[in-house]
Amino acid sequence: SPLVSSGFRRKMRVKEILRAATQAWSPAPQHPTYLALGTAAQQLDASFNTSSALEIFEMDFADTSLDMKLRGTLPTSNRFHSLIWVAFDPEGSSGRLIGGSESGSVTVFSPDAILCAGEDAVIGQSHKHTGPVRALDYNRFQSNLVASGASDSEIYIWDLNSFSNPMTPGTKSQPAEDVSVVAWNSQVQHILASANPSGKAIVWDLRKNEPIIKISDHSNRMHCSGMLWHPEVATQLLLASEDDRLPVIQMWDLRFATSPLKVLESHTRGVLSISWSQADPELLLSSGKDNRILCWNPNTGEVIYELPTANQWCFDVQWCPRNPALLSAASFDGRISVYSVMGGRLQQRSDPFGTGQALPPLQVPQPSEETVIVPPLKKPPKWVRRPVGASFAFGGKLVTFENPTAAAQQQPIARQVQVSQVTTETEFLQRSAELQAALQSGSFTSFCHDKIRSAPSDAEQDIWRFLTVNFEDEARVKFLRLLGFSKDELQRKVSHLNTALNITNHYRIFRTITDTDGLISQALLVGNFEGAVDLCLNDGRYAEAILLSISGGEELLKKTQQHYLQRQTNMVTQNWRDIVQSCELDNWKEALAALLTYANPEEFAPLCDTLGSRLQAGGTEKRCLQACLCFICSGNIERLVECWTSQRDCSSPLALEDLVEKVMVLRKSIERLRSGEVCVQSSALTERLVQYSSILASQGSLTSALRYLPDCPDQVHTLIHIYTVYSDIRSEPLVYRIYNMHGPSSETWFKPFAQSGPLGAPMGFMSGPSMPCSPPGPMMPAPPPPGFISPTSLPGGPVPLFPAAPHAQAPAPPPAGAYPPLGAGYPQGGPGAPGAKSFSAGILPPPTGTCRHQEEPLNTAVSHICLPENYTPPAPITAPVMGFPAEAPGPQDRVQVPPGAPQEPSIQSLQQLPAEHVEQKEIPAEHMILKTTFSSLVQRCQLAAADPLYQRLPASGLPDPRTVSSPKPSQNLHNQPMFPPSNHS
Amino acid sequence: MISYISICIKINEMTYFVSVINTVDTSHEDMIHDAQMDYYGTRLATCSSDRSVKIFDVKNGGQILVADLRGHEGPVWQVAWAHPMYGNILASCSYDRKVIIWKEENGTWDKMYEYTGHDSSVNSVCWGPYDFGLFLACGSSDGAISVLTCSGDGHWDIKKINNAHTIGCNAVSWAPAVVPGSLIEQPTGQKPNYIKRFVSGGCDNLVKLWKEEDGQWKEDQKLEAHSDWVRDVGWAPSIGLPTSTIASCSRDGRVFIWTCDDPAGNTWTAKLLHKFNDAVWHVSWSITGKILAVSGGDNKVTLWKESVDGQWACISDVNKGQGAVTSITDSQQNEQ
Repeated sequence: SPLVSSGFRRKMRVKEILRAATQAWSPAPQHPTYLALGTAAQQLDASFNTSSALEIFEMDFADTSLDMKLRGTLPTSNRFHSLIWVAFDPEGSSGRLIGGSESGSVTVFSPDAILCAGEDAVIGQSHKHTGPVRALDYNRFQSNLVASGASDSEIYIWDLNSFSNPMTPGTKSQPAEDVSVVAWNSQVQHILASANPSGKAIVWDLRKNEPIIKISDHSNRMHCSGMLWHPEVATQLLLASEDDRLPVIQMWDLRFATSPLKVLESHTRGVLSISWSQADPELLLSSGKDNRILCWNPNTGEVIYELPTANQWCFDVQWCPRNPALLSAASFDGRISVYSVMGGRLQQRSDPFGTGQALPPLQVPQPSEETVIVPPLKKPPKWVRRPVGASFAFGGKLVTFENPTAAAQQQPIARQVQVSQVTTETEFLQRSAELQAALQSGSFTSFCHDKIRSAPSDAEQDIWRFLTVNFEDEARVKFLRLLGFSKDELQRKVSHLNTALNITNHYRIFRTITDTDGLISQALLVGNFEGAVDLCLNDGRYAEAILLSISGGEELLKKTQQHYLQRQTNMVTQNWRDIVQSCELDNWKEALAALLTYANPEEFAPLCDTLGSRLQAGGTEKRCLQACLCFICSGNIERLVECWTSQRDCSSPLALEDLVEKVMVLRKSIERLRSGEVCVQSSALTERLVQYSSILASQGSLTSALRYLPDCPDQVHTLIHIYTVYSDIRSEPLVYRIYNMHGPSSETWFKPFAQSGPLGAPMGFMSGPSMPCSPPGPMMPAPPPPGFISPTSLPGGPVPLFPAAPHAQAPAPPPAGAYPPLGAGYPQGGPGAPGAKSFSAGILPPPTGTCRHQEEPLNTAVSHICLPENYTPPAPITAPVMGFPAEAPGPQDRVQVPPGAPQEPSIQSLQQLPAEHVEQKEIPAEHMILKTTFSSLVQRCQLAAADPLYQRLPASGLPDPRTVSSPKPSQNLHNQPMFPPSNHS
Repeated sequence: MISYISICIKINEMTYFVSVINTVDTSHEDMIHDAQMDYYGTRLATCSSDRSVKIFDVKNGGQILVADLRGHEGPVWQVAWAHPMYGNILASCSYDRKVIIWKEENGTWDKMYEYTGHDSSVNSVCWGPYDFGLFLACGSSDGAISVLTCSGDGHWDIKKINNAHTIGCNAVSWAPAVVPGSLIEQPTGQKPNYIKRFVSGGCDNLVKLWKEEDGQWKEDQKLEAHSDWVRDVGWAPSIGLPTSTIASCSRDGRVFIWTCDDPAGNTWTAKLLHKFNDAVWHVSWSITGKILAVSGGDNKVTLWKESVDGQWACISDVNKGQGAVTSITDSQQNEQ
């Protein structure tokens, strides 16, 4: 069976079926690809079967078998001389099949109807032609126009939209003879050519409705079997001769139509069929009676391929319009075969194991099949020549090339490849550059201020404010202010307090300021002192509670005192850990303020971290931001990173930039305090920095990328590292020889990842903990404990990160100078240390008794409250307090003052106190607490008037004599214990 | 002839720039078919219909011709750099049915190996993940795919998949070494159980996935979506997420993004990136796997990025103008 032998060439012969048929490929846009086969006229098989049909087969190339899949059949009354498939597509159909029959009919079929076995498969039929219709072609520009040619010189132009009335291109040519071919010009839509078996071709102009040129080589031996217009050159056409005496293909150019431009001579017997590839005009197929199928480059006349085909004439060859490597060939042995011109192994019928051993040929003799390997087309077809390409490379580079179109290839072309930088993260790069600039210039304050200005949220703004403070003087005060203990806030509180005091005395009506305040006020208004005291206690306002309880009677006072003492034990013993561990999270500000004010330097950072951890554990975004503030205060970069990333997805470049900015600035501020470089060994940070570097590198900023890489023994390593991170490839401890990008092509041997851990340890994003950190890079001089800068390493002061920078590095004005009126400080952390709320700030009463509130009236409701000149706290409250023994602030209290705290002025002022106030001696020891509390109240007043007071301070920074002679014991909360004057350190 | 407009498109308030930093005049005498940078981005390999392969040193924006490799007898379609841990090695494939592996020794490039096992044009070469050795996949118009593995002593083992794609295989691309999701699931330091896999595209309009089992290559998946030849396939670099991603492009003008979240690798879904008006020839993922460069038959290169909602957006038409490129803003763009 012939089909058995087909297995030989399965790589070249793609599909095959036994049919004696006229063929038509589905148009290029059609998917899947079909092949329509109409029973061929004038061919009978051995059974003399005269039935005829139009069949549609699907070319399923995913199916590796040779079978075509029959998808539709339509029995027809006539056999086909010609068949075309037109991409006539009025309703998105698969077009039209048009058949020319031996009886002279032209029939229009609907392929869709045939495919679905519908009834309306025949759309139109005409019997205008008197003889067999051998020629059919469709117009390339107007697919509704179809030309047909038959015997007796008949040519009709059909309009598929109104099929019944064909036109003629002009007067019939004489003498009347068969029309063997019609062909529409590919470039000019109104030009049609027809050819006769006699070898004459006529070109018609349909606008003029007449023939415009006749072509004949006068040899009288051309018997036109085929005619084709050049796909791209309007004036050129090919004529194929089936005469064995002249088995040629002539190329004519109408610009010189007296003789053929070129003659393609290779067939030894008549040419039966030609097909010009629409995908590559340099590919022309021809089949001849010499059993050969040739592929030519018609422009050069060279045969570039010979299909090793059957030993039978092939009367029709056609390129597949959709799949440019395929052609179908219909041979007189009743076979339709689909071939690929891409070559392949011929006699490799069953070689599934790829041994490459050829099997012996089954059919002998077949000279053409002795060749084992059929090479592809000598000239690579256009459709395999990749014209353009773009490939990404390391560092966001894109390598692109293109090739000019054929038309432009006349002049010499520069064959160029371009390397481009693809930048997708412009904002990221810009911000990164700004950060880099700030890091290099050291202009952190302005950087931070820019950040504050542009901060998208309050939380963000807070963080930047905190970060800024680290670079400023009087950082501690500013921290406190940032925590909300601002002048205004205190004024408000003080005025409210005063209001409350006045009410206590005069039962005046005041306005609700806060909820709790309102409740307290209401309680007071109704004379419910006990309730008011409870409210105060619950709210942590011990001072108010005690003051109020005084008015509420002995019992209430006692109870309140008890309660207060209980609560304040921590304060007294300075058990800060308990405080930060047990305080209400809502009171985090107070707790942090307390730490800022009182905590022992060695404990400060851990305490801040503890508080931060608690806030972070709160889980909400708000709490985490608060935690971040704590970590900024403590200078714990690692925890900051951890906390920040716990709430935010830092995978996006900008989010990462947000984080890195903060970290770098914080690190710089620590470095500023320490006057040295800071190394943070934190896996979380390392991971982020590697990620950050990767993004920088991916955007082409390799130099910047290098700066952030936590470990960079050398730059080459780093680049590999970045790359490895990129590709997320697992590293092997292998020795690479690579070229140093940054050196003059010096070769470097190194083990990039060897030290990173066990063989095959994952590298990259996920490998933070195993990141090789052993060789300290330039940025990481020495690995200190993670996230914590040892206070002992701080020259000039024990304060870790904490805003002591200017004082630590340079002689600072003594605190007394900075806050002279407060100079007569109270021993911080002593038994009288105020509750959390009281830490907000220390305020002394105006030493001169001047009413500070006159200048700055508060809200309308309280503006009338103005303390008189020579203000002293209201008598009903102060009296009991003043009755306490004066020895309250004993040495024991002072001992508990954090080392370096400004005790001296406090002691001095305390020593001066008794001289001024005789009543103090009357204060019993057990009431000392109340005295302290009262002092704290006084401080609030002081703070309220803080600014004007400061303005009047002597520039020398010496204590104001009026302060020294203050009539009241005072507490200098502004003298930060953490903030020793230089003479103390 | 070459007049292009640099377009810088703003999407989601992001601006994207593509700027030419180096133009290399290759002096090829015919069409260039491929250009690839080496691992470090310091060397450029090009190949052409003039049958040559050229290597340029392109450090610091310069161009120094390092090698002009002659050995192919037909147009050279693709070049591929091996990982530098194996030395400076370049593979090239050609219409002449050969694959040549070139190696630099003491500054001189020479043939290291020549593979002639294909019966037709070899259209694509791709080195596998370096972690697992030096091995190369080759796709040919004869429909077969070969996997060449260097056994270390200069010998190469050949495994051939016949009839991988009817009419021909146009492209091959290896899966990354990291099994999707393994970074998340695998304990640190444990080597993942990597199965060698690659994707291929062919003239049967199919995208096929192959995997090695017991030393034999098996067809793992057959992805159907294209209606014409699949011109190129690209397996995206792993970014540690438990998703495999493949891009495929076709003569039908379509580019599909195939994703598979299923650890077994069986369920692939296709998303149409875009339907171009012309055939699409090439796809290339950025190293971070986030941007896809698509090269079309109309000489256009476009860059695509997946937005947060999973839609692919064109972020840029790559400028090919001569000299430096300036990006233009929206307003300028509107003026044009």
